[in-house]
Amino acid sequence: MKKSMLLIFGLILTLGLSACSSQSSGEGEKQYPKGNLQIIAPATPGGGWDATARAMQKVFKDNDLITNNINVVNKPGGGGEVGWKYLKNQKPNHLAINSSLVLTNNLLGSSDLTYKDFTPLAILTTEWEAVVVPKDSPIKSAKDLMKKLKVNPKSLKVAVAPSLGNDDHLSFVQAAKTYGVDATKLNFLVYGSGGDTVTALLGKHVDVATMSVSEAKEQYKAGKFRILAVTSNKRIKGLDDVPTWKEQGVDMEFPHWRGVMGPPDMTKEQIAYWDKKLSKMVKSDDWKKIMKNNDWEPYYKNSKETKKFLKEQNKMYKDLIDEAGLAKK
Amino acid sequence: MGYNISDMIQGFHTALMPINLLFVVIGGFLGTIVGMLPGLGPATAVAVLIPITFGMDPISALILMAAIYYGAMYGGSRSSILLNTPGDGSAIAATFDGYPMAKKGQAGQALAMSAIASLIGGLIAVVGFILLAGPLAKFALKFGPAEYFLLFLFTLSAIVSLSKGAMVKGFISMAVGLLLSTVGIDQQTGVYRFTFGISQLSDGIDFLVVIIGIYAVGEVLYNLIGIDKLSSKGKKGVGKIWITKEQWKRSLGPILRSGPIGFVIGCLPGAGGSIASMLSYTTEKQISKRPDEFGKGAIEGLAAPESSNNAASVGAMIPLLTMGIPGSGTTAVMLGALVMIGLRPGPLLFKDSPDMVWSLIDSMFIGNIFLVIINILLVGLLVKILDTPPKVLYPIILVLAFVGTYTMNYSIVDFYLLMIFGIIGLVMKLLKFPIAPLILALIVGGDMEQNFRKSLVSSNGDLGVFFHSGISITLIVLTLLSLTYPFIIQWFKKRKKSADPANESM
Repeated sequence: MKKSMLLIFGLILTLGLSACSSQSSGEGEKQYPKGNLQIIAPATPGGGWDATARAMQKVFKDNDLITNNINVVNKPGGGGEVGWKYLKNQKPNHLAINSSLVLTNNLLGSSDLTYKDFTPLAILTTEWEAVVVPKDSPIKSAKDLMKKLKVNPKSLKVAVAPSLGNDDHLSFVQAAKTYGVDATKLNFLVYGSGGDTVTALLGKHVDVATMSVSEAKEQYKAGKFRILAVTSNKRIKGLDDVPTWKEQGVDMEFPHWRGVMGPPDMTKEQIAYWDKKLSKMVKSDDWKKIMKNNDWEPYYKNSKETKKFLKEQNKMYKDLIDEAGLAKK
Repeated sequence: MGYNISDMIQGFHTALMPINLLFVVIGGFLGTIVGMLPGLGPATAVAVLIPITFGMDPISALILMAAIYYGAMYGGSRSSILLNTPGDGSAIAATFDGYPMAKKGQAGQALAMSAIASLIGGLIAVVGFILLAGPLAKFALKFGPAEYFLLFLFTLSAIVSLSKGAMVKGFISMAVGLLLSTVGIDQQTGVYRFTFGISQLSDGIDFLVVIIGIYAVGEVLYNLIGIDKLSSKGKKGVGKIWITKEQWKRSLGPILRSGPIGFVIGCLPGAGGSIASMLSYTTEKQISKRPDEFGKGAIEGLAAPESSNNAASVGAMIPLLTMGIPGSGTTAVMLGALVMIGLRPGPLLFKDSPDMVWSLIDSMFIGNIFLVIINILLVGLLVKILDTPPKVLYPIILVLAFVGTYTMNYSIVDFYLLMIFGIIGLVMKLLKFPIAPLILALIVGGDMEQNFRKSLVSSNGDLGVFFHSGISITLIVLTLLSLTYPFIIQWFKKRKKSADPANESM
């Protein structure tokens, strides 16, 4: 019987170890990429970053775009900070998923890393942000909302998750700013996750919530929520009767994008490799299907476009964060 | 949300398809194993399986993932009972009486009882799901920040009952837990608190690391001090595998009461199995006729939390399936996986795909019955762990503790935390500080603080917000009752004692 116990422990150990033995890496000198590839999702499983990483892994593999073994590594913590710090010291066979947080963490003063510390490879997808009220709310339109806030910015409780300075929050700040509301005085309640904001709004514990469109969509279709405005420049497919901010006289567009980047100092060849593979990936049917299931929209930009895009975005975010009164001293 | 009996039968039809039965078996077994291992929880297991579920039929994927989830609830208590090291937050309460039972040579009975209690709790919850999913989802929505704060406060009041006889030590332990819970980014303001520039600390200290550190590493260190004595102590014996009639009679009431408690708490997003099992334990302890036996191997003290945490895992499916809101880490991962496959749980799921919902519910019935069989069959094998010489067993536990910790966040910083908390655990054991209050306070502390502040922000600083709803007032009354109950009982006993001088005081 003792032997069988040992066997079981051995088995358990191997299982446990194999779950985390993703560290082996090849020397990507001559032929890139060599050995295992790692996609770092700087968050726990279950969110958009993790989903993007696993979708890439899946599409690369199933379409034989990349034959190397691809692992997804979760490095949660600090709004991406932990994962990206890790990426910074890795070989070029590591990539990491990113989003605007790679810019805002620094602008908010919570990180020393900037987007310039990495090699931009691509922007892959975007979601759009929505401002939502319960169906029976007296606020019927984005104008109603903004008028009310202009008179008294503190008159409404606005739910946002999971932290101030993220896209949910800043897209609302931008709308308010564009309309002429004093954004520093707004009354934000910060919830732990998008699900929590939905619950808070359903239970009417807050007046308004700002969240990504995918988080609002199901409740909208079920007739529980009214979406006042979305941040895209055209109406969103499937939500054809929801107006954009632009249509309602608030001139703004606000993508909630996700992209991918590599460690610093990748070579031209390595960048070209990913331009080729990623541009193929985003055209595949598998990718399109995953995008549709997740309510992501195509937003592909190659490495060169991404570099420029990040620079513009950084400036835009800097202004917004100043506007929200969140800038570091 | 109209229910239809033919949908239900159709659901059984789907759930009983050989392929789905196979997934229930695989998921249940896998869940049991990851539940047993410290750190490797159901969330990790489901995440690892995501690439596999891609190609699966959505119903099968859902069945598989749910089976892992409740399977882990069965597995989680195995190591609590045998080694005093819970695999997960919801298995902590199983150490209180499970481990003393094992020490008394009733390991087999403890394992069997925990499986049976889990089964009954699970079945109660499945029935509850069928009858009450709609109204409960509505009920859960009534919980605003104030109600959540009061629920967490009520949970903390359990500490009084947990540390009876060592009240001061219990409160010190809780205070340490609350202090630890303030580490990390403050949600409402974005300020970094006590992170000392370590970015891994910005999301706070993972309570699982603390659990593994204090329980597993602490336990190993504690036993290391007397390891020579231990090995010469010889066989402890595992006792009978099947429970006695007397044990059954003592446990039935607690099991039947704890199932609904766990189920309802499980429905509240963010509350979950840890709180459910803890509240069931303390409820039983407080209303028991023999509260003194609790903590010393009372079988009903094991049965109650086991019934409750399994019921909570079923309850957690309600916000997920009816509103698309994940109520726990595992359901969040499940939601992500389901969305990838193209199934979006939410308010329309019951209307659009009743077949899917019913197949899942029916598979939970089957899965729970199957899991009790696996777990009882495993009893004979698992109790052998107790025969393993400490010099072999403890190094293995240490390795598992480190592996488990690493797989949670893939972070080396957690290793340091693990060792620090191991030493804290050792010191606490040597000085006889109760551990559960610390862990409990750490689990609920952060949410409690955030909800307190959100309540005050939304009421513009008016404390009246905590007395506004019926739920708030009920929770306040329950908290007060739970705080004063031990003293009331004592007072009554004293009065009785003065009438009957032969009676010995507690």
